[in-house]
Amino acid sequence: MAARRSRSRSSKGPAKRPSQSKAQREFVSEAEEILERMRGDLSDLADQRAAGGDVDPDLVNRLFRSAHSLKGLAGMFGLESLSELAHHLEDVLDGMRLGRVALDSPAPNLLDEAVAVFAAELGVLGAGPSAGSDGAALQDLISRIDGAVQAPADRDVELTDLDLDPALLRALTEYEEHRLRENIRRGRRILLVEATFEILAFDEGLAELTAAVREAGEVLSTLPSPGAAPESQIRFGLLAATERDAESVRAGLDFPHAAVRSVYEPPVAESRRQPARVAAPAAPQPAAPERGPKPPASADIESLKSISDTVRVDIRKLDELMNLVGELVIQRGAIGSIARRLGAEPATARVGMELDKAHKQLDRKIQELQAGVLEVRMVPLRQVFEKLSRVVRRLRRDLGKDVRLELRGADTELDKLIVEDLVDPMMHVVRNAFDHAIESVEERSAAGKPSEGSIRIQAFQRGNHVVIEVADDGRGLDLERIQARGIERGLLEPDATASRRELLDLVFVPGFSTRDEVTETSGRGVGMDVVKNNLTALGGVVDLESERGRGSRVTFTLPITLAIIQALVVGVADQRYAIPLNSVLETLLIDVSDIQQSDGREILNLRGDPLLLRRLADEFGLTGGGVEKPNVVVLGLGDARLGVLVDRLEGQQDTVIKPVQGPIQNVRGIAGATELGDLGAVLVLDVAALIEDALRRREAA
Amino acid sequence: MPRVLIVEDSATMRSLLASSLEELGGELEVCEAASGFEALRILPRDAFDLIVTDINMPDINGLELVSFVKSNASYRAIPLIIISTEGSERDRAKGLELGADAYLVKPFEPEALLRVVRELLGKREEG
Repeated sequence: MAARRSRSRSSKGPAKRPSQSKAQREFVSEAEEILERMRGDLSDLADQRAAGGDVDPDLVNRLFRSAHSLKGLAGMFGLESLSELAHHLEDVLDGMRLGRVALDSPAPNLLDEAVAVFAAELGVLGAGPSAGSDGAALQDLISRIDGAVQAPADRDVELTDLDLDPALLRALTEYEEHRLRENIRRGRRILLVEATFEILAFDEGLAELTAAVREAGEVLSTLPSPGAAPESQIRFGLLAATERDAESVRAGLDFPHAAVRSVYEPPVAESRRQPARVAAPAAPQPAAPERGPKPPASADIESLKSISDTVRVDIRKLDELMNLVGELVIQRGAIGSIARRLGAEPATARVGMELDKAHKQLDRKIQELQAGVLEVRMVPLRQVFEKLSRVVRRLRRDLGKDVRLELRGADTELDKLIVEDLVDPMMHVVRNAFDHAIESVEERSAAGKPSEGSIRIQAFQRGNHVVIEVADDGRGLDLERIQARGIERGLLEPDATASRRELLDLVFVPGFSTRDEVTETSGRGVGMDVVKNNLTALGGVVDLESERGRGSRVTFTLPITLAIIQALVVGVADQRYAIPLNSVLETLLIDVSDIQQSDGREILNLRGDPLLLRRLADEFGLTGGGVEKPNVVVLGLGDARLGVLVDRLEGQQDTVIKPVQGPIQNVRGIAGATELGDLGAVLVLDVAALIEDALRRREAA
Repeated sequence: MPRVLIVEDSATMRSLLASSLEELGGELEVCEAASGFEALRILPRDAFDLIVTDINMPDINGLELVSFVKSNASYRAIPLIIISTEGSERDRAKGLELGADAYLVKPFEPEALLRVVRELLGKREEG
């Protein structure tokens, strides 16, 4: 009933646009996202209430903002019943964040119910005009919410005595004012931290400053003002409540240009037990305040309890730590070689042995340290998966396609930095599958497939790599069409026979697409080449498998972390190189006579399979070297294999890859440089580039 | 062509506002910012003739944006409309006190917004 009324209203409602239904779909989709966020926040809230400590004000405020957004959205679309429900939700949350609704009152318990009812109403909205909503249940819930909200408390702290530009105070919202009062009531000091930033790039610096101030207390508001050079600079004032004094807060900030001053000092001694009286300019010495409610006796204990046992850390700080660990690792190597040298001399053998023993203990501890720092950087893929399922839900609605998304391995962990950069390429692949690969229902039933399409994403760890597969059961790639397009684009000779793998690889060529039409979902022009570049930048590879009529599978193979790697040090002529051990499958000592010639390239028979060989000396134009019994380092990335011929193997080392600068910066095949203690600086090979080049040369041959 | 900056964190609301404004018949160029911070970054890039901002946003609130714009000599003259569900007289008074030129309470009819926009842009042309 309610839904029908709102729909008829919305047709003459605010958005007089031809795409009314699209706007409505957008509304439903955004509302669903908000509800999903609220569910997460409510479950956090329940955890915090169960733990018995203070509830994070930011959490309640976020919930309030969500309800507020829902109200605004529903209102603009003329959905009165939903707007009303959101309005009441907002009232409860507003009461909670302003301290008017006690957390142990029945009101917070109604929130989960309200979110569920809201979601159900949204479902009705999406189901079409024939569905009816449960208006009675809605009204019942609204009246119960109303009953639970208490009358507003008096404002007992005035803000006029704050040593602050009144214009700044005016810019605070009611909630920010409430937090300010609440903190004053709790006897905290109010500080203003100010710093100037370049206007076009203030985000990072401001985020750092905010995080640093947050260490000292609560950030109440962020106030922008013009900088000294208003065209290019912007000044931010962070209003913060803290137990600490201005000097110690300033000392804790790593910002030489930030100014910190106190705009409100709590009354000495009395501050902990008595409500502050800031609103009495006529009474200069209020020894015993006679008005204002007393804060709960446990206020102080609560405030101590509220210190969470979780800390948020900027990932760059972890990078710095990791770098330090890397340097420790290098020093450890140096100590090891000193111990060996001492041990080899009879005169110092005893000291050498003792040093070696200490070295081994140091080694164990450093390994633990390294593992610990690495572990902190690891996050599960869950967040990426959640984003993907949201996108799929939206696509399902917008394109009217029936597609099931199956997700497995959400707990697989990867370096935080890698996970962040993984969202875009995965999104691209999933959209491609949804838009191009999965056929329409008619097409599917004609092909004898279930009408519901499927996209399956599976993540798992394999050694030092994480593998993520995205498989669909759609139409698969049309190799003939790819071949035709390849010839048309001049990528293939018209009469040449291309292998299946070569054809599939064409998909990764920039601008290559077999589709003529452009759809909204997948965009135009940007294709798998971008996905491949993204993956390469993360030190990973992407593989594609496809079967006509059965579906495709895109496989990402990624290193678990970029921060520290184990490397195999190899020698060629008088040079040393490091090869990331995670791409080394095995090493073999062979005889030069084992090398076979085939079509002008060198191969090795590796247990019955031909392994393409490259001489590292040739790659970098080195002369000299070449031994009777060379070593073959078998490299593997994804499905590709390559054997690299080197003169010597010189052992394994933990290394931190650093980018190289100067003339060799852009040399292909070099990923960076690393310091190997007493061996000095060594170049690190870019395995992906080496394999790619070798395979391309083979194709060209 | 007059250039309008819409500052609003809800994507749906933003596109609704944008399409309402574009109904003026292509006489407007609409830019969108999804947060207060984004607005601060966009402002110096282009000369704007009007700003429409929400109040409740995650980074800085709309009132803070108004205070910034109106205290900056380069932007002070840009007319500014606050749009919010915060219908209370207190917030309205605060917004206007800070220098906002108009205050619209959600939900509103697009015609109401267009009327205010036309009025403020017209005033700007005369001045």
